[in-house]
Amino acid sequence: MHKEDKNYIEIWGDNVKLRDLLLSMVLCIVFALGGYILAPGDAPQPLILGLIGGVIGFIISSILIKPKRRITVLGEEDK
Amino acid sequence: MDTAIIIQMILASMGGALLYTLIGIAPGTDETAVLAPVTIALALVGVSPYVILAFFIAAIVAKKLTDSIPVAVAGIPGGVMAAPMVEHAMILKQHGMPDVSIKKMSSGSVIGTIVSIPASFLIAKLILPYADTISSYAGLIFFLGAVFLALMAKNKLLSLLIIVPFALLIQGLRHLYWGLDIIPEDSTVFVSFFLGITIGPIAFSLFSLLSKKHRNSLPGLGNKEITLKKSKKEKGFPNPFKILTNKESATSALGSLIGTVTFFLSPVGMTVFLGEFLTRHIKDPVQRASRAISTMDGLTNASYISGTLVPLIAIGLPLSPMAIGPAAGLFNAPPVFTPEHNIHHILSMGEIMTATIIGAVIAIVITFYITIKYASQICAFVFKYIPHEALIGLFAGLVVMLAYMDAGWINILGTLVVALVSGLLYKNGVNYGVMFMVLYAAPWLLGLFM
Repeated sequence: MHKEDKNYIEIWGDNVKLRDLLLSMVLCIVFALGGYILAPGDAPQPLILGLIGGVIGFIISSILIKPKRRITVLGEEDK
Repeated sequence: MDTAIIIQMILASMGGALLYTLIGIAPGTDETAVLAPVTIALALVGVSPYVILAFFIAAIVAKKLTDSIPVAVAGIPGGVMAAPMVEHAMILKQHGMPDVSIKKMSSGSVIGTIVSIPASFLIAKLILPYADTISSYAGLIFFLGAVFLALMAKNKLLSLLIIVPFALLIQGLRHLYWGLDIIPEDSTVFVSFFLGITIGPIAFSLFSLLSKKHRNSLPGLGNKEITLKKSKKEKGFPNPFKILTNKESATSALGSLIGTVTFFLSPVGMTVFLGEFLTRHIKDPVQRASRAISTMDGLTNASYISGTLVPLIAIGLPLSPMAIGPAAGLFNAPPVFTPEHNIHHILSMGEIMTATIIGAVIAIVITFYITIKYASQICAFVFKYIPHEALIGLFAGLVVMLAYMDAGWINILGTLVVALVSGLLYKNGVNYGVMFMVLYAAPWLLGLFM
């Protein structure tokens, strides 16, 4: 696929694709809230599992979603 | 303090420094949104207050050191505070010296840190005798703070007009939760409203996109173009005083000192004002830009540190824009920290000093070294592998979870209401500071009507 998407929007200082943003938000919210609600122990265990859940959501999103940036490197040696 | 705590503080500082070195580079990350939730979460999880303070100081020093890097290499501010520096950094970039600007900015940051820590302790000592008087008028002071910040905001009239209605929204939701027996009468909802205000602008933008008409009116954007320049290899451990000229060191130190004294004012405002004021007389554009960025970076760092430390040491109430925003978790993370029982009350002055110094020294050593040596490589990594969507998603996840923790399902919607109202106000020129002050002043303010 060489045709570039031209339907990104700018939020919080960088370009995002709405569908990807929705996916990442759903993933992070489900994992964070899921970790919190499903934690078997007492406080602070739910919070810890919730935080871990949020980070898992973040990692999965980072793997699934491609950043919308094109980087040109200027310099002595090219990669 | 025993050895185990000190080791934990060192480890936490290292973790904070590394984590916020990366976050600092990510474009557009707002200081409050990235620092406050993590600090609050650490407090609620039950991490020792010594460790939290060391972590926080390391994080803020690291974040301030690195958020200017993308300004220098790509002309994109890495945070709200780096925005005023873009113009000057672009001048150096046009002259083909992005690596010079990174070095100058980071060195300015280091000077800012070194100047502001002792100066903050000195100022705190001067205020200390009046602390009890100040804290007995907390509600009134927060209200006056809101008025004061409203008069400095972009939209002064709107900022003044919304003080009481916004307090009504916050107290209204709290009374609703009490009335429905969702939370007990002796507890209150704070963290989720605070985060609601913080994510307000993003939440508002996202909800506006639900309107098809609005969506179609937006220009479709392609990939963000970013040009990176490879920096030259640096040998040995960098010395900030060798990187800056004597004049640059002196102006940074002076700027940092003024930034420390004016801890209760808006850091962005002071940075723009002083950065321009102290360098206006220099004719050569390159010299002027390089003096301006080293001074500005020192000043932002200094005003951040003093804005945290002075209220923390002297008063125990978040009475500065910094303390009420990014550092809020150190003052108020109920039920662990409350305005009557927080790091100010738990730690002695000497202990606060120890934690601060551990955090700052570790962050400077790790981050300054990494920044000077690998600035362009880190930028390339962050830009290439960390999608912006994932960052926004992570914050959304944290906010929703903390809202649920505060008062159950209904509070996810309550927080959304606070976020949308704040976002609308923010877009119309009411700054964060006003809304945060109102959040603190709300119980007192509405108590006047009873």
